[in-house]
Amino acid sequence: MNILTLLIFIPVVFGLIILVLPSSLRVTFKYITLLATFVQLCLGIKMYLDFKTGPSFAGISNINQYQFVQKLPWINLDLGGAGKLQIEYFIGVDGMSILLLVMTTLVMVVAAVASWEIKSNLKGFFALFLLLDMAVIGVFCALDFFLFYTFYELMLLPLYFLIGMWGGVRREYAAIKFFLYTLFGSVFMLLVMVGLYMSVKDPVTGSHTFNIIYMMNPKNYIDGSVFSVLANGSILGMPARTVGFVVLFIAFAIKVPVVPLHTWLPDAHVEAPTPVSIILAGVLLKIGGYGIIRICMGIFPEVAHNQAFWLGLLGVVSILYGAFNALAQRDLKRMIAYSSVSHMGFVLLGIASSTTEGISGAMMQMVSHGFLSTMLFFLVGVIYGRVHDRDIYNFRGLASLMPRYTVYVMVAFFASLGLPGFSAFVAEAFSLIGAFKSQTVNGLLPQWMAVCGSIGILLSASYFLWTLQRMFFGQMSLKGGEFWKIALTDLNIRETATLLPLALIALLLGVMPSLVFDKLNESVLAMVSFLSGK
Amino acid sequence: MTATVANIDNSQIVTLVLTAVTLPFVAFLINFLLLQKSKVSGWVSTAAILCSAILAVKILIALWNQKPITAQFAWFQIGITRYYAGIWLNNLSVLMLALVPLIALPVHIYSTAYMKHDSGYGRYFTYLSLFCFSMMALVVMRSMLLMYAFWELVGFSSYLLIGFWYTRESAAAANKKAFIMNRIGDIGLLVAIMIIYAMFHTFNMDRIFGEAGLIRKSSINGLVWTTLFEHMSAYWQYVAAAGLFLAVAAKSAQFPLHTWLPDAMEGPTSVSALIHAATMVAAGVFLLGRFLPFFNGTELHILAIVGCLTAFMAATIALTQNDLKRILAYSTISQLGYMVMGIGIEAYPSALMHLVTHAFFKCLLFLVAGIVIHEMKHIKEENNLDIDPQDIRHMGGLRKKLPLTFLVTIIGALALIGLPLTSGYLSKDGILIHSFEWSEDNVNRFAFVPVMAVITTWITAFYVTRMVVKVFFGELQLLKSNPALSLHLTDGGLLYKLPLIFLALCSLFPLFSFNPLSYEHSWLFNGLASNFLVQKNNYHLFVPIIVGLGSVTTMYMAYLSYGKHKWAFPQGGFFNRLSSNEWYIDAFYSRVVVKGVLAFSCALYWFDKNIVDGLVHLLERIGLFLSRVSAWFDKYIVDGLLHTVAAIVEAIGNFARRFQNGKVQYYLYSMLLAVVIVFVLKLLIWS
Amino acid sequence: MITLTDFMLVSAALFCLGLFVVVSKKNAIQVLIGIELMLNAAILNLVAFGKYDRVNNGGQMFALFAIILAAATTAVALAIILNVYRQYKTIDPDKINRLKD
Repeated sequence: MNILTLLIFIPVVFGLIILVLPSSLRVTFKYITLLATFVQLCLGIKMYLDFKTGPSFAGISNINQYQFVQKLPWINLDLGGAGKLQIEYFIGVDGMSILLLVMTTLVMVVAAVASWEIKSNLKGFFALFLLLDMAVIGVFCALDFFLFYTFYELMLLPLYFLIGMWGGVRREYAAIKFFLYTLFGSVFMLLVMVGLYMSVKDPVTGSHTFNIIYMMNPKNYIDGSVFSVLANGSILGMPARTVGFVVLFIAFAIKVPVVPLHTWLPDAHVEAPTPVSIILAGVLLKIGGYGIIRICMGIFPEVAHNQAFWLGLLGVVSILYGAFNALAQRDLKRMIAYSSVSHMGFVLLGIASSTTEGISGAMMQMVSHGFLSTMLFFLVGVIYGRVHDRDIYNFRGLASLMPRYTVYVMVAFFASLGLPGFSAFVAEAFSLIGAFKSQTVNGLLPQWMAVCGSIGILLSASYFLWTLQRMFFGQMSLKGGEFWKIALTDLNIRETATLLPLALIALLLGVMPSLVFDKLNESVLAMVSFLSGK
Repeated sequence: MTATVANIDNSQIVTLVLTAVTLPFVAFLINFLLLQKSKVSGWVSTAAILCSAILAVKILIALWNQKPITAQFAWFQIGITRYYAGIWLNNLSVLMLALVPLIALPVHIYSTAYMKHDSGYGRYFTYLSLFCFSMMALVVMRSMLLMYAFWELVGFSSYLLIGFWYTRESAAAANKKAFIMNRIGDIGLLVAIMIIYAMFHTFNMDRIFGEAGLIRKSSINGLVWTTLFEHMSAYWQYVAAAGLFLAVAAKSAQFPLHTWLPDAMEGPTSVSALIHAATMVAAGVFLLGRFLPFFNGTELHILAIVGCLTAFMAATIALTQNDLKRILAYSTISQLGYMVMGIGIEAYPSALMHLVTHAFFKCLLFLVAGIVIHEMKHIKEENNLDIDPQDIRHMGGLRKKLPLTFLVTIIGALALIGLPLTSGYLSKDGILIHSFEWSEDNVNRFAFVPVMAVITTWITAFYVTRMVVKVFFGELQLLKSNPALSLHLTDGGLLYKLPLIFLALCSLFPLFSFNPLSYEHSWLFNGLASNFLVQKNNYHLFVPIIVGLGSVTTMYMAYLSYGKHKWAFPQGGFFNRLSSNEWYIDAFYSRVVVKGVLAFSCALYWFDKNIVDGLVHLLERIGLFLSRVSAWFDKYIVDGLLHTVAAIVEAIGNFARRFQNGKVQYYLYSMLLAVVIVFVLKLLIWS
Repeated sequence: MITLTDFMLVSAALFCLGLFVVVSKKNAIQVLIGIELMLNAAILNLVAFGKYDRVNNGGQMFALFAIILAAATTAVALAIILNVYRQYKTIDPDKINRLKD
């Protein structure tokens, strides 16, 4: 049995078990879910350890260099004159996806632990949770566009219900907003996908294919087809490949999210229950970044090259805009949500630079932000779970009341603002260095972008430290008075056990970034040379 | 790149250095994990720093005036580029490496007594060890990236220590301010590093700035800056220099980023002594020392002017402050201004020498301030007074109560003023003399720089005397309002005395030069002055005399004013207000910059909520509107058509029904009507 | 000389008279009289147009036939009116509207 397939479908198996079990056993559901995610984590770590590095395992545009590959015919229809419909169950990983996979499995464990706070309709929650788990893992593994799209859309369904049923006060609004936003992007993606399908031929069988790797090679395009590189086809008077790129980019940019397509995120994050916030920030946003690298830039490299300026600009705008907005928030969770927008801007900036430093930094930022945002949202969940309030101004001097909690908040805050020694520092520094170097290496991004981006680091220090000052330092004064004082107990063992590994990983990645970069290097090199058209 | 050193093997040296650097980190770990609540933590940290100090001095002796040593190991790899973690030991770094633990050791010992009754004792030493580790690592790092990392960690540990008493609102505000202002500098440094890395393709500072480094093979021609590898617009060289300047200004509290340092006095006094007087703030000057070849002439001129301005400004502010620690903080800024100016006028050895001497005497003065404040607090608590223990207006006459403290204070004060026989004289004179030579070299375009520097020394003499007189001479001012005070004041135990004596001795001339009047004979000066030509001219005679006489005069004036009350400054004048309000710089920042940024962010949030999200909602409304329109259409047009047909049929039926009312005559009418109609129609149509 | 037109004018006048009586009177007997008038107008026409059939005297023949028929129908009509009266106690045609069923 292929380990990837196992990884993808384990949650479904456990989800079915939960569905079958009677509701009287509902206390066991969370343990079953935890077990499922834990098994996944073990598999993920095993894959990480087994992952082979070297120039012959770079992946990207070379179909033979992917690892843990499984390829099965899935939907094969003989359409007579129109040829054969060929959709494959084709999964595999390279350096880009393995890291995100491992990160996802860990985030899922944390999210499962955070689900302890869920009290109503446990069966539905955990079944949907596991379905979501399957979908996100599947997205990172899929190498067939149709399969990718299936998983991608499959994510939305459980998320919609998880936010809409277990969320906060305005949950319906947030859920619908999130759902429609994402659907808006993916519907157009479907069109491009079909267009690509019509344009690309499998060099082995000769029939049309959804294979993403084949889509990366200009030779596989049928002469005169819409998206053929040579044909210079046009859609509505615009170059077809540019349109395709932009449409796919918008779909993923909504996920990242890139300003100005970000407004679903604060609402969804704020209204979602803690475990869902964790998954949203920890994993879902990375799907956007991953999609941009793998799909947008992979399939339309020359367009990405031409439009790099705009990608970089959007990145810089996201960094600054998100940071300024975070500064203006008084809801702790909303502030963190905006800080996510800001931090994901570095990803876009790094990717746009198309330099080894930039792309490595962007990947590192995705992994690092995965852990750190998980930690941040978990921490917000702790305080919200205790007193059902998150307004920064309603708390003061928490450090005296909850010292251990404050330590973890400080670790998470300082790690997020890029303190050296934590993963975000390496990530942000190299994203910026890559962006700066881009002018001399490939002339894609002007240097001022990196300089402006670095101001985001300053702003992140401002909003995190200001929050620390307002909520944790000073004389203790709580809005809820004595009642809150009793309710706000320090971290318990379960919470510590969740936060400690995250903090340690953030530290470990900061001190030994090679843990990430060693797996990544060959893929990044392959990606850079692929993007530069060599 | 490696050089052999007599007697000691290179790898042995590297091991020694790493051990010295890591020991405080080990202490940090032990304290953090095990000893948060224990009083042992103080001794763990102290022992670690003691070992570090011994090792560092050993390294200093072994490597002083030897060829630089570098060592490195691969840290990680991105693409095909390897990044190394390594150390670069030259005179500058081994000097700093020795200086940090030598200052930190007395502070540690002092702290074990000073912080004894604080509930955060373990936490205090945890932070202190973290700081020492970061600072020592900062000075030996070879890679710019790692140097940046420790540069920020130094800022971080300073953040922790300033906010040590985090329940105080002012401390919480001060540490945030310190970190954010330092962050501005960090951004500058990061940008500079990005630019330098892009141009030189390496993070290794010795390859760029070392002997025969890459920087010497780069040039600016017109508007193009060329190195061996790349070329770029020359503006980026200026941007990088500006970034480095920002970094220096933030860490070393230079104008315009100096305002965090006075606020940073919210931390424990021992912390101020170590971090905000002697070591961390010197990191900016150290950075200048490392990156010196990068600056070109104009940029150095700007450095000199800013340094001079800062020195002058801070000295004038110190004149009217009443908070003991704030006076010392502004004098620190002022002295750092001298150092930056010294670098700017290319008096590199003197500037760094001033860094070293200043570290000792300023640390000493802060520790003294700590004792004084401690005793004042003692009086306050014993007599239940509501006073600020740091306010010098309450003090006075402590000379008799704290004899040793008084004695070492005099040494520290004289060193700060820069009178002969002290270390301060040696280093400050070097800078002042060279500033005149430099001004002459620049055809006196910048003549105001040396003049201002000399005036600043006179002002320094004045405010230092004011402070000493107000604290130690006369009578205790508190006794005037509360004659029944009970006073139990002592110099404190050995743990207080030993550090003071040690630092006082280090503030005298013998440690640096056996000739108390000539800085040129200092080993320190000569060790750093490898490319520095000492000129022979009259400045070497006249400048010390002018400075010395002026200082003594102002000291006497200050004594007359504050000791004998013979005269006093007019209160409430413009200059008085300017000085006591710290030139309104901080007020400007908090009213304009901070408010502006916050207002801007609120405006952006409004924009986000109402415009960006508003657009989304507008789309939503448009969608809703369209759906309503189509619903209306469906209901009234599509469905309406069907209903119309039915309605017509019904209407016709209703109409026809009326004819059948059962009345015979009515039927006849109808018949008649029908006939008439048919007849009329026939007439109309067929004719 | 009395021309055909004169007969027809008289006949038309008679017919109109009859018609008016039929639709306006509120008494069934009068309505019946109106019907008789209209019949007579038709008979007058028959007689007048009889001049074109001098061989068989078809006009006069049909006039006689119609008079007899009219007498018969009048008898039937009177009988109906009698019965209506019995049923409704009135012979005002406006009051009798059961015909619509």
